[in-house]
Formats: sequence, structure tokens, C-alpha cells
Amino acid sequence: MASRRRMLLKVIILGDSGVGKTSLMNQYVNNKFSNQYKATIGADFLTKEVQIDDRLFTLQIWDTAGQERFQSLGVAFYRGADCCVLVYDVNVTKSFERLNNWREEFLIQASPSDPENFPFVVLGNKIDVDGGNSRTVSEKKAKAWCASKGNIPYFETSAKEGFNVEAAFECIARNAIKNEPEDDTYLPDTIDVGGAGRQQRSSGCEC
Amino acid sequence: MAEADAGSSPSSVDGGGGGSVQNDYPTIDPTSFDVVICGTGLPESVLAAACAAAGKTVLHVDPSSLYGSLYSSIPLPSLASFLSPDPSPPSSTAAAPDSHTVVDLQRRSVYSEVEFSGAAPEPARRFTVDLVGPRVLYCADEAVDLLLRSGGSHHVEFKSVEGGSLLYWEGCLYPVPGKRQDIFIDKTLGLLEKRTLNKFFNLVKEHVAAASVSPDEAGEVDASAKIPEEDLDLPFVEFLEKQGLSPKMRAVVLYAIAMADYDQDGADPLERLITTREGIQTISLYSSSIGRFANAEGAFIYPMYGHGELPQAFCRCAAVKGALYVLRMPVAALLLDEEKKHFVGARLASGQDILCKQLIIDPSYEIPTLDTSFGGPDLKSPRKVARGVCIISKSVKQGSSNVLVVFPPKSLEEQQVAAVRLLQLSSNLAVCPPETFVAYLSTPCTDVSSGKQCIQKAMHALFSPQASDGSEGHLETADESTVKPTLIWNCVYVQEIRQGTSRPLLSCPMPDEHLDYRNILESTKKLFTDIYPDEEFLPKKSAPVYADDDTDSE
Repeated sequence: MASRRRMLLKVIILGDSGVGKTSLMNQYVNNKFSNQYKATIGADFLTKEVQIDDRLFTLQIWDTAGQERFQSLGVAFYRGADCCVLVYDVNVTKSFERLNNWREEFLIQASPSDPENFPFVVLGNKIDVDGGNSRTVSEKKAKAWCASKGNIPYFETSAKEGFNVEAAFECIARNAIKNEPEDDTYLPDTIDVGGAGRQQRSSGCEC
Repeated sequence: MAEADAGSSPSSVDGGGGGSVQNDYPTIDPTSFDVVICGTGLPESVLAAACAAAGKTVLHVDPSSLYGSLYSSIPLPSLASFLSPDPSPPSSTAAAPDSHTVVDLQRRSVYSEVEFSGAAPEPARRFTVDLVGPRVLYCADEAVDLLLRSGGSHHVEFKSVEGGSLLYWEGCLYPVPGKRQDIFIDKTLGLLEKRTLNKFFNLVKEHVAAASVSPDEAGEVDASAKIPEEDLDLPFVEFLEKQGLSPKMRAVVLYAIAMADYDQDGADPLERLITTREGIQTISLYSSSIGRFANAEGAFIYPMYGHGELPQAFCRCAAVKGALYVLRMPVAALLLDEEKKHFVGARLASGQDILCKQLIIDPSYEIPTLDTSFGGPDLKSPRKVARGVCIISKSVKQGSSNVLVVFPPKSLEEQQVAAVRLLQLSSNLAVCPPETFVAYLSTPCTDVSSGKQCIQKAMHALFSPQASDGSEGHLETADESTVKPTLIWNCVYVQEIRQGTSRPLLSCPMPDEHLDYRNILESTKKLFTDIYPDEEFLPKKSAPVYADDDTDSE
């Protein structure tokens, strides 16, 4: 079971509504983008197999399912995350300013044992909009904030164009692997009533 | 969420008693829904998931900053404010929009006689307290099936009550045989007892096997294996006597396996006697639970991090299906139509009016009565359950982490009319720090003081009080295995139990006196069928599909 834990990496994506969390996931996992915005419906999490340094991992990327709209994500959502991705829209200053709240919310709710070193990755999304002319948050400003929070890796992305999405998620995966799961002691004999059946089918061969 | 924003940080959990409402909440859009649900207890959360799965638009609000309402698991420092919430502030009855009438909504306290004793070890935040304890799931029960059908199983993990069950009998604890092999290795049973008990379990097993065969195949099985109908209608206790079970063995079967609540030998009203049919149903669930999951030991499982995970799992399923979630949002008033006959919406504490076709309200709200044709308030006083929560220094059963203990009626004192159940949990469930254990107790009661007294007697039967100098135990030379666990901290209280109602307003059941969720989920399902008779209740296919989305990828 301990090895299963190491193979499966839980990643959660936080940020204000409409910054493109679901689009980033969809672009990365399914190479798809839809211009039509609807508050997230239908996706619980998406999974993708990733190979990092000759080892195979399953990245399980959790969407907020719209529960972020009124800051109503339950503590269960945050549990056991290996990496937390913070997303803002470079064209909406408020979404950048709220990154700090999302980071603190995560640290309170997930209460990782070593909050100083818990892996975050920040994505500034929608850099394609209006050729970058409607941008209100500069890369410099974003990087300065990331640096002040313990050198959080920062990526500028466009879920629409697929720009930098792959690179961002590779960094996310690498950081997730580095995170030492703290509740390993709890896990060996937990009972997953759903069994592994469904997940195995969806992700193909588990070998 | 930021520190300045104290109302939303989980460290400032209020009892859901109202309090200040965030002013910076965006307006909820749309302003009308098929269903508005207030309260995120397990039944409300299951209903939200079921309604969303049936394609209904759902707004789900809760006055608290935590999910779970009366079914939540809360950090220990917040327990006192949860059990004794401040009275809800008077609502402002502003002018009604259009032709609606506004009816103010009040919350009532569900808990009484709350009593704390001892100091909780620091950091107290690492103790998570269930409001529904002691409670478990049977591996094969409806709650597990609902989690599977809704997809909620992705959000909860369980551990076994691996230490099994113990029966408190004549001042000692005896293991309850969970399966037939246990009978033979049990050193506390005499040879005759072993033989009788084994014969009885065989009889039940053959009956269940024969009864589960459909009538057209019936020719191939031995119909005589079935227990005769007239025996099935007998009080279970009489049937057990007929089978020759000794008083102690009857107590094991009645209270520790069939989970009877009330004294089956006493002069209690007949309705409290369980029939053989009911007894066998629970035994059958118990035995089909054993071995259902490869790495589960025994029949019972408990959710990691506490029972509050279950409502969250169902809410998450509902959210994935499009339900809108707003925590920290009390409902201040209800909206009535022109004839003042039907509820047509809710006024949120933010002042916004939301219209809906169906309103579901947390049972801790006082439901206003519209007119006498609804029969007025329930005049019968509600059922009550006395509950206890303890922090103890070590396990009641050496070498076991999670254990169930049953005190049959009259085992603690002559006046004990109902069984007391105790569930001990360890840090392997992430509900308490290592080196400590949490124990929950409950017993149904009509008289609050005798209910509380039973809980206290049970605590004292198993635990020794903390010495005044803080040291554990009095006899330093005593063998470690015979020293009772020390009772470090405890809380005893009484909770009223109201059933779910569908009129005049839909209200879900409160946590009941039982060990599992069977009755609660059964009435939840019934409430769903009442409002949507043509919809299936959480159909199998309602779980989201996780398969890589390759059906339309070309």
C-alpha cells in the first residue's frame, strides 16, 4: 500500500472562479479547450499517467467542482494533497490578490506538518487574452510574490493555446513527488470501499 | 479565509447559531432553484446528491463554516459552542417582495444537560469529535452502497473496528464471537455453550441461504432449512430461549450482534421487543459484512477523520453534479405564497430572497406551523439519547485499536433499561493524537438524568478517574494489562431525536440512537421518493465517470 501511495499523486487546483482551473486541467489531460464558460460541472478529478525520471506516476488532479465560488470547499477536499496549484487570471487583479487567501486557506485546512516546505505552484493564466494588452498583473509582480512565499515556482500559461501547460504540470508532478506524505502511518490498512477496480479500468494497465 | 476574515477560518467554528454573515458574498445567481436545502447533515447531503443526480438545480446552504450540521465531526475546542449554541438573533422582517409573506425562522437547541469534566490534553485541536457517536458502518450496509452509487466512495477511506466487540457481563468483558471460528477458540465459553451457539449460527445461516433463493428455484433447496413463520414473528428473546441459549449467550446475540436497544427480558412495552425476523435480519447483515472487503477485519468500519467526512463526500458528489454550495449562510426566514399555504422560497441571512419549488430545512430549525390542518406541532415529546465522549489513556482491550463494547440492560445497575454501547477509536483513524484513545457512548433514554447516569456508570466501569496528582493508576506494581485506562477528559449530554417529516415542510431526521445509519438513510430515501416519486434515488450510474474521455476524442 505504501508503494501505491507513492505512485498516486493528489494535486488540487485552487483559485477564484473563472480563472481557468478546469480549462487548464482539460488542456493538460485531454488536450481540449472550450471557450464556453460554465461553472464547473461533471468533473470530480482527472487522472493522467506521467513518467518522471523513468518512473510512472498517476497524477490525480482535483477540481473544485464550483465549491470555491462561495469559499465552501470542505476540509475533506484538501486532505492528502501532494501539491497545491494556485491559479489566477493575469487580466484580473483581484484574482491575483486573492492568491494569498487561497494559500492560507489551504495551509489551515490541509494543515500539512511542514507548511514552510509544502509544494505550491502558481500559474498566471489567460496570457493570450487580447494579445496580452488587457493584462493587469505583471510577471514581475507575480514573481515577487512567489519569491516572498518561499520561492514558489511560477508559470505563465494559456489554457486556450496550450501554452506552457505541459511544462507547468511537469513541475507540479515533480514537486508532488518530493512531498513526503505525512499520514503514511495511517494508510497501510485503510479500506477503500470503492476498491481499485474503477480506477484501474480508467487508467488502463496498472503494471 | 485570511486571518482578518475570522468568520471563515475553521478555527472559529461557530455552533451554527447564526452570527455575522459575510457582507462580501457575491449575490447568488440564479435566484430560483428546483430545490433549496439548508443544513449539511448526512440526510440533507444525500438528498442534495440525489436531487442533483436527478437533474434538479440545487442550492445547498449551511449556517456553519463546517459541513455536517448535526452529523459533523468538530475540533474538540469547538465542541462546547456546538452543544450550547448562542440563541439565534432575531431576524429582521423586512417587507416581503411581490405578494409573498415572510415567516421568521428560529433555531432550537437539540442538546441539553451538557456537562464537561477534566482538561483535554493539548493540542486539543488534534481531537476530532463526532456528534453522532458511537457509530459505525456495516461493510455490507446501505451507507456503503450509497457511497459507491454516488461516487462518494472516492472521498472517504475507512478502517476496521479490528478489535471486534466485547460484552460487559457481571463486571467483566467477554469477546463476542464474530464468526463461527471465533466460537471454538473462545476460552471463556463452556463446551455446551459453544455447541449451542454454533448450532444457532448454523440455523440462521441456513435460514438466510434458503430465504434468499427466489421462489422458482426453491425446488432445489431444502425448504425445511427456513425458520417457520410463526417463529419469525416471535420475540427474538423467546426464540433464543427455545434454542437453549444461556442468559449470557442470549445477551451476546440480542445486544452485541442483533443490537437490540431495550431490555428484551423486562416488562417493557411490546413494541420495544425485537422479533426473530428483525434479529435475524441484523445478524445476516452482520455476517455478510464480514469478509466483504479483503482488508477489513470484522463487520464494522469507521471513516478516517470521523463521521463528518460522510456528508462532505455526498456534498462533493452533489457539487460535481452542479449543486451550488454556500457555507456560513443561515436561512433567516421562509417565503409563503399569497394564500399562505405553500412555502415558495427562503430569505437568506444576506437578505437575498431565493425562490424554489422544494424547500428542505435542517431539523434544528423550528418549523413554523401554517394552520391547524397540518396537525400542529408534534405533541409527543421526542425520543432522546444520552451521549458521552471520553479521552482515555490506553485501549480497553490490550493490543486492539478500535473496539466496540456493549453493556446489556441491567448489567450496570438494576435501573438500566437500555443497552449502552461504547466505541473506542485510536489514533490510526486520525481522530486523536498517538498514545490517546477516544471513546463514544450512547444509550436511548426517556428520563435525561437516568440516561446520563447510565453513561457515567459505563465510563466508571471501564475507566479509572485521573488521580488528583495527575499520575495514572494507584498501584504502581499492578500488571500493566490489568490497570484500567485512565479517564482524562469527558463530556456527557443529551440529544433529542426528531424524525424526518415531509409536511408542512421537508425536514430530515436527526442522528438516532442506533449504531449505524440504516434507519436514517431509509427515511431519507423515503423523503426523496415523496418529493420526486418518478425519479430513481441515486441510481447506480450517478457516479461521475473517471474514464479518460476517449469516446469523442477523434
